[in-house]
Amino acid sequence: MHGRVKVRTTEEERERKRKEQALKVRAYRAAMGRIQAKRAAGELDDEMLSLTVQILQRNPDVTTLWNIRRECVLEKLSKLSKEAEPQQPEPAGDQEQPEEKNEKEAAPQPEDRAQSVFRCELDLTEQCLMVNPKSYNAWHHRCWTLEQNPLADWQRELHLCNKYLKFDERNFHTWDYRRYVTEKAGVPAAQELDFCTEKIKVNFSNYSSWHHRSLLLPELYPNEQRDRPMSEEKLKQELEMVLTAAFTDPNDSSAWFYQRWLLGSGAQLDRAPKVAAFRLQSKGAVLALDKPTPDLGELNIELVAGEQKVTLSPWLPVDSGRTTWKCQLPFDYQKNSTYTLKLTDQELNLLPLPGTEDGAFYFAPPHAAASCSQELLSELKTQLQSCLDLLEYEPDSKWTLLTSALLMRAIDVSANHAKNLEHLGKLEKVDALREGYYKDLAARWTLELELAKWPQAPGFPRKFELADEVSLASLPYGQYLIIADELNMATKLREELGNRVPKTFSELKL
Amino acid sequence: MDFTTFVKPSNGSGDANGGAQTLQFWKHVEYIENHGKQEDDYEYCMTEFLRMSGIYWGTTALDIMGQLDRLERKYIIEFVKRCQCPTTGGFAPCEGHDPHLLYTLSAVQILCTYDALEEIDCEAVVRFVVGLQQPDGSFFGDKWGEVDTRFSFCAVATLTLLQRMKQSIDVEKAVKFVLSCCNQTDGGFGSKPGAESHAGLIYCCVGFFSLTNRLHLLDVDKLGWWLCERQLPSGGLNGRPEKLPDVCYSWWVLASLTIMGRLHWISSEKLQQFILSCQDAETGGFSDRTGNMPDIFHTLFGIGGLSLLGHSGLKAINPTLCMPQYIIDRLGIEPQRLGRP
Repeated sequence: MHGRVKVRTTEEERERKRKEQALKVRAYRAAMGRIQAKRAAGELDDEMLSLTVQILQRNPDVTTLWNIRRECVLEKLSKLSKEAEPQQPEPAGDQEQPEEKNEKEAAPQPEDRAQSVFRCELDLTEQCLMVNPKSYNAWHHRCWTLEQNPLADWQRELHLCNKYLKFDERNFHTWDYRRYVTEKAGVPAAQELDFCTEKIKVNFSNYSSWHHRSLLLPELYPNEQRDRPMSEEKLKQELEMVLTAAFTDPNDSSAWFYQRWLLGSGAQLDRAPKVAAFRLQSKGAVLALDKPTPDLGELNIELVAGEQKVTLSPWLPVDSGRTTWKCQLPFDYQKNSTYTLKLTDQELNLLPLPGTEDGAFYFAPPHAAASCSQELLSELKTQLQSCLDLLEYEPDSKWTLLTSALLMRAIDVSANHAKNLEHLGKLEKVDALREGYYKDLAARWTLELELAKWPQAPGFPRKFELADEVSLASLPYGQYLIIADELNMATKLREELGNRVPKTFSELKL
Repeated sequence: MDFTTFVKPSNGSGDANGGAQTLQFWKHVEYIENHGKQEDDYEYCMTEFLRMSGIYWGTTALDIMGQLDRLERKYIIEFVKRCQCPTTGGFAPCEGHDPHLLYTLSAVQILCTYDALEEIDCEAVVRFVVGLQQPDGSFFGDKWGEVDTRFSFCAVATLTLLQRMKQSIDVEKAVKFVLSCCNQTDGGFGSKPGAESHAGLIYCCVGFFSLTNRLHLLDVDKLGWWLCERQLPSGGLNGRPEKLPDVCYSWWVLASLTIMGRLHWISSEKLQQFILSCQDAETGGFSDRTGNMPDIFHTLFGIGGLSLLGHSGLKAINPTLCMPQYIIDRLGIEPQRLGRP
């Protein structure tokens, strides 16, 4: 039960209500009893349909009654299809024909009768949806009915969606139904996008419309490199549109969520893992992946040096998150050979490990931002300026603080890092409920930058050093550090992180 | 009309008095205990179509409060047994209704709580669940063909509790289907592919991945951010952006964040205040929002939420299966959870 306000009433009123409800209970029980008796007797007839209507109109959540209606519908359809089976043509004279035609007009054809069966179900679901527009059962029954009908009128259903979305533009049932109907009706994606644009123009604060839009755009304007959700040109237009929306009401979150998605990488959840770091020595190897991967079987990890080819296996997990793995296969390391790590979809050249004659490694820092064309860059800069202007007037505006930081990252991650941390620090205060989130985000951004700088640092990759002033609430991307022998950080930070300090190569004792 | 009406505030702004509330422990026990006693009560009668779940909500809440013995174990087990469909093996919400995955999970949860799985034909339940899986990996709720990620959760949760995840359903396909319901925009999940993200369904999908040991498939940073943005100034959480806070959504979000190791991304203290403000101090029970009518559903999620937040006097609850942790331990089940970064 949702949204029912508790109302205090007098004893008199309560008594009246009690009596009224007692009658309703009696009527419900009588109807249910009759329905169950009829069902047991196999009486799937018109009386059954009207008995279920009485209850469903008040309470569309009684699933079983919808099931019974479906049984009735199937029964009726099966009778009608028997009637419609072609009968032996009667040997009739010419004069008799007009009379027969008249008869046919008087009694509806089985097909028309079938349509009226469907109509009856559709009408009932509409009545029920008026009572409860979020009834899973009523929506499902509508879909089921249409699926039974080869002559279903999908255009009519599309109009119904338009009507219902006017009542409530956030009803996710209606939006789901709309996606189902547009597919059935063959509505082109471009036309849907226009509908969506209209909806957003009427009300910017409409997460459901923005969501619908996010499904259509990647399909209509694909991004070839797949490092952004859609083509750069379209992305630029979308950024313009969404910022206008966001500025109309900066406290409404819908447009800001959409904007963050636009600025993101467009990465697919089911993409294959990439190698983050790898280190090899004669006693074995360690492999870190950029995302958790519980099974390395499909990666087919091989080490190639000239003619020499070794399949590395078996792999044992190093961390519970399954991003880091070790392989204790003894290996005849040749310091003068060039080694390549071959995986199903990647081929990586290893570099000799400095300062030793036993070992090679690979390292690829996490990607912080996608590449950017000049046009897109200038749009991002314009947007950033608008955000910074707004912050002059409203320095505590949460969404503007966050978005300007995201824009600065998209423009130049490292140049804007200090400023971005400042924004996150401010967000911890103005949006204190999510303090923990901003702290972890700051740690992530910091590690991304530190890891990007690491290959230029002295001692790389055997030593990783965090300056004393670096403050972190957590240490994400820990798996990237597995190739180091030594992690240097302030004692205070080490104590704070406790058992979350990542493992090093030397600790693995291969 | 000559009667006076008095409406309590219902703006989701938390406790109207501003003071911190304490848990009305015994009121809630009484509320749940009395829930099934008035069979002619209008609300009770009109909700018979979900009775099995109602019993699961009540027994679980009472067990978390250490008061399970207030309900008649024998009577409840007999009721559950009568609801198993002899033909399909699935459970109906009550006698005279049809079996469905939703109530099958509730029935199995109740029997696990009472350590009474041997009372029913478990193999028949497995057959029912397996028979509802579709070629694309999704699950029907019953034979009438509704597809929803809720049913994917119900299927794996039921099989997990029956210790029959292996050699029953096609887990790979089931995973693939749920993954196809993930939204790129926010990392969340809806009821079917393309459906808007919704905290209730996110809970089902995160729970599904927890039970299938595939939490690595989630975009934890993206989804965790969207989930922590559900917390509103009142401390309560909503189910989608720009919606009102609700005790049940507080549970869906809180449990998902806990499974993902990101509970620290919201304010536990403020959430606890909100949940406590939704207690009905007169009758006991929790409502969806401050000042609304309590019901048994929100009572479980109120108590469950407080347990996850570590409220004293309550037993620990498992965030994936929404059952007391000691029962999950007794069954030897370990749903996957991610660590804090």
